[in-house]
Amino acid sequence: MGGQSGFGPVPVTEDSGAFHADWEARVFALNAVLRKRGLYNVDEFRDAIERIPPGAYLAASYFERWLMGIEILLADKGIA
Amino acid sequence: MRFTPGAKVRARVLDPDHHIRLPRYVRGQVGEVIEAEGEGPLPDDRARGLIPPRVETVYAVRFRAAELWGTGTHSVTVDLWESYLEEVP
Repeated sequence: MGGQSGFGPVPVTEDSGAFHADWEARVFALNAVLRKRGLYNVDEFRDAIERIPPGAYLAASYFERWLMGIEILLADKGIA
Repeated sequence: MRFTPGAKVRARVLDPDHHIRLPRYVRGQVGEVIEAEGEGPLPDDRARGLIPPRVETVYAVRFRAAELWGTGTHSVTVDLWESYLEEVP
């Protein structure tokens, strides 16, 4: 992960699909809507995820990081 | 377009305060240019809201996993903007 080792194998199941829970799909859709509306671009989004404090970043799942990134950007821009 | 397919290039060791789309694990490493993929706005600039962002050629660059991590027989191909790369003499 991120070019670092020590996180163990990535579990892959045949039928896991794109999302593991409904909230993940909602986060995915929320990001798509906010970007389409021009609130931020993908590079700002990647930058926001990189600004998550390291401990929180490492403890979070993939879509938890997306949600934290969205929260950071909305706070930065004074929207939420 | 500065680099041609087959060229050996080194990913620069860059660590700016702002976002850069240059993975830490390739910095300083030598790879091979697979192809130029066209031009793209520099993520560093877009992440900072600089308008207009600089536009550069983006290259697919292949690195040997064993050189990045000391093990593995596979390779890793990374999209890298031209200013992230330098020639290998």
